[in-house]
Amino acid sequence: MQLDLEKMRDRIKASQWALADIDWDAPGRERVTENPELYAKLKAFMADLMWIEHVGARGFAAMAKKAPNDTLREIYTYFHAEEQRHANAEMALMQRWGMLDGEGLPEPNINIRLVVEWLDAYADEMPLSVLGSVIPMLEITLDGALCKFLLDTVDDPVCHAAFDKINADEARHLGVDFHVLEMLGHGPIYRQTLDMAGRLIDPRLLMGILAYLPLLNRMRDNLVELGLKENKLYEAIAKYKRVGGTPGGRRNPWFQLISRQGAWVIDRKNVFYHAPVDALVRLTGKIPPRLLPQIPSWVHELTWKPTA
Amino acid sequence: MTTSPQARRSARPQDSAVLHTYETLIVGAGFAGLGSAIRLRRAGIRDIVILERGNAVGGTWRDNQYPGAACDIPSNLYSYSFAPNPEWSRAYSGSREILSYIGSLVRQYELAPLIRFGQEVIELAFDKASRRWLAKTAAGQTYGARTVVMAQGPLSNARFPDMPGIGCFEGHKIHSARWDHGYDFAGKRVAVIGTGASAIQIIPEMVKQAGFVKVFQRTPGWVLPRPDYGTPDWMRALFRRAPAAQSALRQVLYGAHESMATGLIWRTPASGLLEQVARLHLRSQVQDDWMRRQLTPDHRIGCKRVLVSNDYYPSLQQPNAKLITWPIATLSPRGIRTVEGVEHQADCIVFATGFDVSKTGTPFPVHGLGGRLLSEEWQRGAQAYRSVSVAGYPNLFFTFGPNSGPGHNSALVYLESQIDYIVQGVRLVIERDLKWLDVHEGAQQRYNAAIQRRLAGTNWNSGCKSWYLTGDGFNGTMYPGFATQYRLQMRRLPQRDYSLVR
Ligand SMILES: Cc1cc2nc3c(=O)[nH]c(=O)nc-3n(C[C@H](O)[C@H](O)[C@H](O)COP(=O)(O)OP(=O)(O)OC[C@H]3O[C@@H](n4cnc5c(N)ncnc54)[C@H](O)[C@@H]3O)c2cc1C
Ligand SMILES: [Fe+2]
Ligand SMILES: [Fe+2]
Repeated sequence: MQLDLEKMRDRIKASQWALADIDWDAPGRERVTENPELYAKLKAFMADLMWIEHVGARGFAAMAKKAPNDTLREIYTYFHAEEQRHANAEMALMQRWGMLDGEGLPEPNINIRLVVEWLDAYADEMPLSVLGSVIPMLEITLDGALCKFLLDTVDDPVCHAAFDKINADEARHLGVDFHVLEMLGHGPIYRQTLDMAGRLIDPRLLMGILAYLPLLNRMRDNLVELGLKENKLYEAIAKYKRVGGTPGGRRNPWFQLISRQGAWVIDRKNVFYHAPVDALVRLTGKIPPRLLPQIPSWVHELTWKPTA
Repeated sequence: MTTSPQARRSARPQDSAVLHTYETLIVGAGFAGLGSAIRLRRAGIRDIVILERGNAVGGTWRDNQYPGAACDIPSNLYSYSFAPNPEWSRAYSGSREILSYIGSLVRQYELAPLIRFGQEVIELAFDKASRRWLAKTAAGQTYGARTVVMAQGPLSNARFPDMPGIGCFEGHKIHSARWDHGYDFAGKRVAVIGTGASAIQIIPEMVKQAGFVKVFQRTPGWVLPRPDYGTPDWMRALFRRAPAAQSALRQVLYGAHESMATGLIWRTPASGLLEQVARLHLRSQVQDDWMRRQLTPDHRIGCKRVLVSNDYYPSLQQPNAKLITWPIATLSPRGIRTVEGVEHQADCIVFATGFDVSKTGTPFPVHGLGGRLLSEEWQRGAQAYRSVSVAGYPNLFFTFGPNSGPGHNSALVYLESQIDYIVQGVRLVIERDLKWLDVHEGAQQRYNAAIQRRLAGTNWNSGCKSWYLTGDGFNGTMYPGFATQYRLQMRRLPQRDYSLVR
């Protein structure tokens, strides 16, 4: 997927929107609030979604530091802020639906907390090859599938108005994500593979993987709970492999690894993968939150308020 | 003097037959214009006119009167060596004190009669037939002169950035170089755009005065601690009685700044050391990890102007201040919308966004021999010979011309050696009654090839974007070397590189 990055940057700048562009008090709220069956599940779902956007934001912030040129650096700086905007908009929806308790942030689940922790501590030290290969996976599955699912489930017009804008942003994110994935595959395969082998024994990265794997399984469980067909998620994971599988992409060993792992996630019968990862989900559920370090200050930038 | 100033002024300048021809015409009455006049007069050039578009002298220091405005090179070095001031109240004097120093130069050297205020030059053209330059002003007048000194200032045109929506903001807008002293900040929500040299001086003052201050940062700069102090009385007394002591201090300061060049201009172990100092400074003043990350530059030290401040970081952490690093999407009627979707409402926006720097053009049309136009020749980047002369533009001399910028030392050190060089050129033209003195094209090309070769190895050309570079990355702004090297090359005007036409 070849892309003119400068044109893309200009397009991104020309497509900005703000929370204030949406009327958060427009009619239609009751379609969610008066549906008790949907309500409770949606509340948990929205909290997860919002946190994933926020985590994605932090990922882009790390990528901006690694960008090989100024244009890409600027694009990632925008994406960082745009993911934050998505999180803010989703929080505004939660506010509309009365899902925020007071002014506080919704509680992140423990797996998200672990990922936040890891991102804060190590993301800036990870090379572009790792971040640039994982981010498209997160974007296409979580961002992509979750948003689509939400629109199928909720018919509040304000929700649709917000997600029209969010999805338009995401289309641009995916364009850049896969462009970079392709770009990362350039250079001798053996060098890349050696580099990856070196990274994989890096305990910092291993910790990241240990945080990432249970997150995927946990999201799958939450979605099933909410009534999402697992297939939807799997389709998205398969799409990563399909779209990313360009000649360049296939040469990127990180892509190979991540799409392989994606296939394991899809394959419920793969006990060798799911038994330990599900165990991890259960295990992490036992971590007492008070043992985790304080939430980093960037988290407090989240807000549902259109003006400040 | 041949005619009295009165007689000169009453002559109708538009009528070129009776137009008085000055020996030298100077554009601008800032440090450069006034310093040139002082040194030219001392060299025996008496018939001088200074055209100044404003109605007061001082240029930079007349315009930049924002709260906190001060020099960031110690005053003992940021002043003329031929006019030392024993009375500086601080190591880094404030804008007003610098302005009154400039005023004292005007009085001491009796420059006032030379200055024509309210005369903005809008065009300069060399008239071959009468072998003089003709300067047209916005007021509709024309001035003639044998020689011209361009001293209109490298940073004299304040500029609002071309941000989307800038026209629709309904609150108050202030540019740092056009301060609005009538505006009361008490209790106001103030947004400051920019985090460069001016901004980091303004912000601590705004935080003291305003209700709430949001600082919008695009790229952080390296900040070094600023060794400021109030001058003790004994020191002033000493400097008054023993000027040698003051010039010794100036030499020490000069040496200290020269030694920084090693780290600031080129990538050397000293750069790492300076970056380390800046990091420690940041670490000692900012506790929060994320905020430190936001304030840590991605570029090498020296690639952009290095900032010096002790109170910038602390001011950002006051309860009524906030640093915002989200990119600005657009200005709206009530504030600034950033890309994370939030509208940051403000009563007043302070633009500390810098100046229009003509890297590829000239601030007004300059026509040389045969009608050639300087902005056309400079389309791809400005070039000159030793930053002062341009082939095809005889008898015309630039201050702060192409590749004369200091990254690490006082601009006035560079300026003084430009002025001394210019004085030699002007004297040649006047004393030998030359038609013109014009630098050889070849000499200029050789000079620039060497400059660009040397620039290639500097921090400025290391891949970072700054206002020093043109859109194509050409550096026609900075001088790649020590001030001492620059002064050495400016000591003597080499006649072999010029044609002297009688
Ligand atoms: C906020 C600020 C802080 C600075 N601090 C330092 C420092 O600490 N150390 C340092 O070395 N340098 C510093 N500088 C750089 C500073 O610009 C130079 O040191 C120096 O003051 C430049 O003097 P100048 O006379 O060349 O230009 P200016 O002071 O800008 O004077 C130019 C004059 O020309 C006039 N003019 C412009 N165009 C025309 C025209 N077309 N016709 C007629 N008149 C015209 C202007 O009105 C102005 O009066 C600073 C600059 C700024 C903006
Ligand atoms: Fe998103
Ligand atoms: Fe995204």
